[in-house]
Amino acid sequence: MSMNKTAAGVTLAASLLIGAAAVAQEPGITDKAIKIGIFGPLSGPNMAYGFDVVNAAKMYYDKINKEGGIHGRKIEYVVEDDRCNANDLVAAVKKLVEQENVFMLNGGSCSAAVVAAKDYVVRNKVPYLMLNASGDGALFPPTDYIFGAYSISQYAVGGAMVEFAAKQFGAKNVAYINHDDAYGAWNLEGSKKDAEVNGVKLSVESINPGINDVTAPFLKIRAANPDAILLVTYARPAALLIKKAAEMGFNKPIILSVTGTASLNQLAENVGKDALKNFYTQEVMVDSPGGAKLKPIYDMYKAAYPDLAAKPDHPQTYMPYGIPSAMSLVKALQDAGPNPTREKVLAALKTQDFDSGVMAGRMQFGPEQRAANRSTIFIKYDGTTMSPLPGVFTSRWTYQAK
Amino acid sequence: MDLQVALIFLQQGIASGLVSGSVYALLALAIVVIFKTSDVPNFAQGEVFMAAGYVALYLFVFQKMPIWVVLPATLVVAFLAMALFRRFVLDQVAKSAKDLVYLVIATLGLSYVLKGLVRRTGFGDTPRSFPALVSTESVMIGQASVTMLDLTIFGTAVTVMAAFFWMFNYTKTGRVMRAVGMNPKAAQLVGVDLRRCHMLIWGLSGGISAIAALLISPKILMTADMGSIVMLAFAAAIVGGFSSLPGAVVGGFVIGIVENMVGLFISSRAIVLAPFLAILIVLVLRPQGLFGGKLTIKKV
Amino acid sequence: MSSTPLASPAPARRARSGPVLVGLVAAAIVAVALPVLTSGYVVYIANLLLVFVVLCLGLHIVIGETGQFSMAHAAFYGIGIYASALANRAVDLPYPVAMLFGALVAGAVGLFIGALALRMRDIYLALATFAFGEAMQWVFANWDSVTNGPNGLRISPARFGPIEILSDKQAYPFVLFFCLLMIGLTVAISRSRLGRSFRAVRESEVAAMAMGIDVRRARIISFGLSAAVAGFAGGMFGLFQTFIHPDSLGFQTTILVLTMVVVGGLGSIAGAIGGAIVFGLISEMLRQAPQYQEIIYGAILILFMMYAPRGLFVFIGDRIREARHGR
Repeated sequence: MSMNKTAAGVTLAASLLIGAAAVAQEPGITDKAIKIGIFGPLSGPNMAYGFDVVNAAKMYYDKINKEGGIHGRKIEYVVEDDRCNANDLVAAVKKLVEQENVFMLNGGSCSAAVVAAKDYVVRNKVPYLMLNASGDGALFPPTDYIFGAYSISQYAVGGAMVEFAAKQFGAKNVAYINHDDAYGAWNLEGSKKDAEVNGVKLSVESINPGINDVTAPFLKIRAANPDAILLVTYARPAALLIKKAAEMGFNKPIILSVTGTASLNQLAENVGKDALKNFYTQEVMVDSPGGAKLKPIYDMYKAAYPDLAAKPDHPQTYMPYGIPSAMSLVKALQDAGPNPTREKVLAALKTQDFDSGVMAGRMQFGPEQRAANRSTIFIKYDGTTMSPLPGVFTSRWTYQAK
Repeated sequence: MDLQVALIFLQQGIASGLVSGSVYALLALAIVVIFKTSDVPNFAQGEVFMAAGYVALYLFVFQKMPIWVVLPATLVVAFLAMALFRRFVLDQVAKSAKDLVYLVIATLGLSYVLKGLVRRTGFGDTPRSFPALVSTESVMIGQASVTMLDLTIFGTAVTVMAAFFWMFNYTKTGRVMRAVGMNPKAAQLVGVDLRRCHMLIWGLSGGISAIAALLISPKILMTADMGSIVMLAFAAAIVGGFSSLPGAVVGGFVIGIVENMVGLFISSRAIVLAPFLAILIVLVLRPQGLFGGKLTIKKV
Repeated sequence: MSSTPLASPAPARRARSGPVLVGLVAAAIVAVALPVLTSGYVVYIANLLLVFVVLCLGLHIVIGETGQFSMAHAAFYGIGIYASALANRAVDLPYPVAMLFGALVAGAVGLFIGALALRMRDIYLALATFAFGEAMQWVFANWDSVTNGPNGLRISPARFGPIEILSDKQAYPFVLFFCLLMIGLTVAISRSRLGRSFRAVRESEVAAMAMGIDVRRARIISFGLSAAVAGFAGGMFGLFQTFIHPDSLGFQTTILVLTMVVVGGLGSIAGAIGGAIVFGLISEMLRQAPQYQEIIYGAILILFMMYAPRGLFVFIGDRIREARHGR
């Protein structure tokens, strides 16, 4: 080899090494690819909350790759099943971080479970964006590494429901039915400030999500003679309560929170149109499921997963929720520049403020704010037509360090 | 709470408790039938109940078959599934190891398999409704409100239980079952085919569970986890006396009412605790339950 | 009520020293080399398996040795987790003190349950302990002021003097040590007079009484010891986990431990250990097959009960013997 070629070879090697070294300190990133660790409930009883949400994030990343990637790097993703419980979620996270050496994490549909990973993620300084988990327990007090509530912060859910009942119906005495789980604790906590400001008295009944006979809680609610019922429950108990209300001839407004809307069509089938005469539902997406504004997402799903789309029950109702989270991740990587490090990505996340086109409100983080979405809208549903009502409702709850 | 409200609560709690209790009673009956004749607590009972409901859902809603085909078809499927499980799985387990813990774990295995199969079909995740065949119009009984569907559930459950008792106590088949329960070896000596008898018993238990599913599915919405209702059935069986059939039935109604009373007068959060407390209290204070009679030692 | 025992264990087999020694040495090498050769994830799984081993040992004491079909194991485990975590937060003593506290609280509750359970046998004992386990899970989820209820409890890092444990690899030597300690303790109990009295009670209470064994005392103590060991496993949990949620402390966990013990081989300590490791690995591997895992898990249980109910090791031992000597 001639001297020139050798010199050129050495220089080239050296510059590559130096460039690579800057990036090589960060796990999961090469000059061709960025590795993302995705996890969610892919099996078990809570599969409906995450299976298609994970699929939505994947299809979004595939789309970005088709369009050239981020600063010339393709997104490579590894998917793990967290089975929606704390132990398995931690195992999934550790596998992704330690075995797969991902650059950042994008996962979690189950709020109580994601809190379990909090300490590990912070100690190991891994940027972590939740999928559709509210995960409030891991977002307040804020950490440098964890961002979530792309679906909605449960603290916002409770407050928004009370605010809506007060403003729309002038309600002064409201029945609040939630669950005796983490979600329930957070959304009830979030409702208190708005109840105070609006002068609303709350009659609270906390029920188990597995309840079969709702006679007892409903009777107590009815005895409190409320101006409206706020159902802050999951889909099945919500349907049972709506049915019971109809059976007992209750005709005041019933307002269902976003946690209870699995599928409005199925709800109408489950309870019958007669039960929905004075029925409102909270929504966080910019359109009702299947509406015009969300069509591009559903078309993307059909193109990406033709076999799944042909099966009943797919795409699952929460599918679009995967998009804002994936968008946020991609934006942060873009804003972090051509030589991203975890620190740069985190800095970019902390100032994010964008309209996802999927959620009704903007996704907004801040120096102390780690919950992206705190806005909800309300829709009147009579079993056939969905009529969105004007106004964006949020909650007055703010984090108080204990 | 004033007296007026308390009285309404009491009446409604009892009325609704009797309705849901009748379904617990059916399931408890299904459990005790097996336990009384082969000493096995069937931990898959809830999943059999759930799977039967989904079979009916599939046939009725998705295959659009007429109801007079769906009902017997579901019963037959449940009967056969349980009978075959007994014959091919449990008989094999009993051959390898006679002890109870192995049979119990085999039934647990069945419960996982059934749940997994239902989830695979994709129907299991959204709560599904089974169309009500009877109207859900309300009827007042005193100050309590129940629906026509509720009355139908109660009536059908009671009829099925009565039919079962008649069969068990007054027919030859029933006598054979009772004999096997009391003393299997002796029964075998007088010519009873134990294997067929056990298959029949398990099949019957499956059929009763299927009826319970058909009755309550229109009321409570179906998910793949609805089998957890079996805990209430176990509580019912224990309260009534685990080896007493009438006890299982009475226990069902008791648990249904207690559930509501706890919810109405104590707290909604405590509803889910009630059956477990009932089990503990009964087993500590009076293990044979309400109808168990004296504690006896069975002869082998 | 039946007088057939709910569970009688596999007959004791004399260990063949050659292969067993080789196996033990191999296991020791793997155990020591693990944190050096593998990632934190593998060490995390190892830590989890070691905790399950101790849980299985606890269940072995009450079911395998004494024949009492207790379905409350997850409750004692949970009591140990919460008690040790709360003690660790409250007082600034080395973590083993908190672990001991967790074990003692769990053991005390176990003694109480054991006393209540004296009148019960077999299926009734199983159902009563099951109900207690569910009630305990409800307490974990609803006693907000102590356990933080449905939000779950954060577990502060374990401290041993100046050392603070902040990762799985750091925790591993301690977890391994405590697991070996518990194995030693269980073997010692098994070989002692107490252990012999447990087994006598399991075989026949009447005969045991005739031999002068205080059956009631034996039964209560076995419950207490079993609960204390499970509570200690809870303390071990806190060495490397940072969070506990009541959802993990119910019937599912108890059943998992029960199947580990039975699949390993009911009545043998080696079976309990082996079952924990094998089934724990199966459970983690099944996470890779989300669509089918419930079906596969159930099928494994059914097949084991049909063809290898005496446990994995007996099954393998029989097959090896058959291969050597012919049928």
